[in-house]
Amino acid sequence: MTSTLTPDAPDAPPSSGGGAEPTAGQVARRRWRASRGVLAVVLAVVAVAVILAVLRPGAAEQDLDPQSPGRGGTRALAEILRQRGTPVAVSRSAADAAERATAGSVTVVTWSGRLTRADIDRLRSIRGDLLLVAPTRRVLHALAPGVEKAGTSFEKTDEPGCALRAAALAGKVRFGRSETYLPPSGATACYRDEGKPRLVQVALDGGARTVTVLGSPFPLTNEFLDDEGNAALAMNLVGARSSVVWLIPDLPEPGSGSGDATLGDLVPFGVKLFFLQLVLAVAAVAVWRARRLGPVVAEPLPVVVRSAETVEGRARLYRAHRARGRAADALRAGARERLVPLLGLPRSAAQDPNAAQEVVAAVAERVRAAGAGAPPGAAPTGTFRTGPDGRLLYDEATIGAALYGPEPADDAGLVWLSDVLDDLERQVRQS
Amino acid sequence: MAVTGRLGLLALIGAVVPIVLPSWWTLAGLWGVLLAGVAVDLALAGNVRALRLHREGDASVRLGETARVSLIVENTGRRRVKGRLRDVWPPSAGAAGPRAVRLDVPAGERRRIETTLVPTRRGDRQAVTVAIRSSGPLGLAARQLSRRAPWTVRVLPAFPSRRHLPAKLAKLRELTGQHVAQIRGQGTEFDSLREYVDGDDVRSIDWRATARRREVVVRTWRPERDRRIYLVLDTGRTSAGRVGDIPRLDCSMDAALLLGALASRAGDRVDLLAYDRRVRARVEGASRTDLLPAMVRAMAPLEPELIESDAAGMVSTLMARVRQRCLVVLLTELNPAALEEGLLPVLPRLTARHLVMVAAVADPRVGEMAAARGDLAAVYDAAAAERARADRRRLTAELRRYGVEVVDAPPDEIAPALADAYLALKAAGRL
Repeated sequence: MTSTLTPDAPDAPPSSGGGAEPTAGQVARRRWRASRGVLAVVLAVVAVAVILAVLRPGAAEQDLDPQSPGRGGTRALAEILRQRGTPVAVSRSAADAAERATAGSVTVVTWSGRLTRADIDRLRSIRGDLLLVAPTRRVLHALAPGVEKAGTSFEKTDEPGCALRAAALAGKVRFGRSETYLPPSGATACYRDEGKPRLVQVALDGGARTVTVLGSPFPLTNEFLDDEGNAALAMNLVGARSSVVWLIPDLPEPGSGSGDATLGDLVPFGVKLFFLQLVLAVAAVAVWRARRLGPVVAEPLPVVVRSAETVEGRARLYRAHRARGRAADALRAGARERLVPLLGLPRSAAQDPNAAQEVVAAVAERVRAAGAGAPPGAAPTGTFRTGPDGRLLYDEATIGAALYGPEPADDAGLVWLSDVLDDLERQVRQS
Repeated sequence: MAVTGRLGLLALIGAVVPIVLPSWWTLAGLWGVLLAGVAVDLALAGNVRALRLHREGDASVRLGETARVSLIVENTGRRRVKGRLRDVWPPSAGAAGPRAVRLDVPAGERRRIETTLVPTRRGDRQAVTVAIRSSGPLGLAARQLSRRAPWTVRVLPAFPSRRHLPAKLAKLRELTGQHVAQIRGQGTEFDSLREYVDGDDVRSIDWRATARRREVVVRTWRPERDRRIYLVLDTGRTSAGRVGDIPRLDCSMDAALLLGALASRAGDRVDLLAYDRRVRARVEGASRTDLLPAMVRAMAPLEPELIESDAAGMVSTLMARVRQRCLVVLLTELNPAALEEGLLPVLPRLTARHLVMVAAVADPRVGEMAAARGDLAAVYDAAAAERARADRRRLTAELRRYGVEVVDAPPDEIAPALADAYLALKAAGRL
């Protein structure tokens, strides 16, 4: 709009005072130093988790499957039983097993963690004997009433130490890692480790059928079947009746009733206490942090009013109401006030309308003496007289219009007026 | 009472225990142990009530300088007090260093705790309290108490313009010593007779002495001493405006201090009054040596009040206190609304008996705005600033019509400008 407008310089060089600003490399290094401790802890946690996952004995899909020849499978046992004339029927669901079971059969329940509540109900009313291989707590409660889980034993081999015929015949048996139980009174308990048995047999329905709980699947598997008296124990337990129903349930269909156990049922009691204790510990930490050392101090603050606020407010008002007339008057009055002493006129002449002619004449004379420099930019048409080259003529009419003229017609006119007044003042000063 | 982080940490670590031993008793036992530890700590922690606190150190400091206050903690109890201590000061006292310090006072001994203050505002800064946390031997819990240890640091005005004092004093010596006034004025007294030299005013020839001595003798005069100067600080709403980042009142104080120092050296009596609607501070009849400290002490707690100043009340107060003619220096703001309705109507009463000087701090921001050019907003800013300056000029002219001296200068020049105006009056013998 005017020549005094300074254009934004996009190609301006960045300020040289950037020495205090850290470089990207320094920032990265500082962040690395700050976070490497946390990173190390996270990595250590991940490493420990991976190691634990690797070391944990994993259960493969075909474990305890009578059709699997793998290490964990039980094909050897099934084959032996078949050769001895005891048919082994493999069931993949509890319903199927309940259908196949007869009063003279033994139902071997493996992978009991996959049984839904409905499955367990079905097994509860099954005909014939039950052999539960390392059952879950839920299955144990439902199918072997009175037997409680006690803990875990790692003792490898053990003597039967009981009157159970199957165990007594088998003698020493290799168990490996095994669950131990607390038997109810009247139950037969064998292979005790520190008094807690790994094999418990409970008679139900007045001795009509039995439920046997075996704490470890290892004596039945292909891998360990030929160790010690394992084969004998397995044969005696599984092949005691006329037929065997081997239940190895598939994963239940999603939504088939397996999800009705709440999180609270699944979480062990100790873990619940752990979380309760965590909450209490956090509360203790909160009490520690909440207690201030000394009070919060309040004090009256001084008023912060910028002295120029009224002037700035008035400027905004002028702008909001486009008060060009008032603004122009103020600018002209200020310029006259500064010009008059330079011209050697009495101060009172500055704001006296009658002295206008005198002031304008004096300014014109001084401007002529200064050599009538170029005024800024192109003049708004109609207000000021311009020369043949389109430039403004600083004659008396123009100076009069600048110092005493009417209200500028538009905003550009006002900005231009301010520049002309500056220019006049500069020229008078220089002359 | 307060618990420590150690309690929270132990509770957190203890959360592992219920996983190993899942029982309610585990949890109860754990908390039993922890709470017993807390009880032991509370019972054996040193007694905070038995501490005797007293302070020594700086009672006053110039704004921007550093004060040192010592807190002496004496343990009169039977047990050692070990823990943390926080000396609580208001934020504007600018207490440096850590928030709380370690404290370890054996029974019967005393410790000194240094607090460094760099106040950020003028006025009285009072120590709020001393919070002490005395930990028990296990470090699980602590006894905490806030104790009073009163102390006040008076933050005095910074008086940055005292660097101008030597130059102004040199000017004063020039005035009173070598340069003897030739013109007899109201505030001059007869000094001596000396021989006429070329250039002396013929009006000062003492004809009687000339006749006696048979050579031309002139009388010389010197500025009269023991004139009275009354500095009046306006603490009303216009003094709250900030010029740069300093309230106008602080600039006025600075100027008043320089003038006070200068005038007291010149042998004049200086009094101070701070007034808005009532007397806020007054220094009267202070001896030459005590003047500056007395002024600084009186000014320290002054704050701008957000009320309109009562000029009539101020004039009445002044007229009631001062009978003889004196120079009244009114440090206020040239605010058209405040002065036209307040001071101007009552000014004749004051000027009838006294010489009045008005000193006002101009805002450099207004000058910046008046010089703004370029876009429309800047031009409106300039117009508003011109308007403000025109108001100021009009007010100055009006005050001068009443015979009032007006000093209007930006904040860093107001103090020397006021001193110069005083020296000019003194040189002209107008005091």
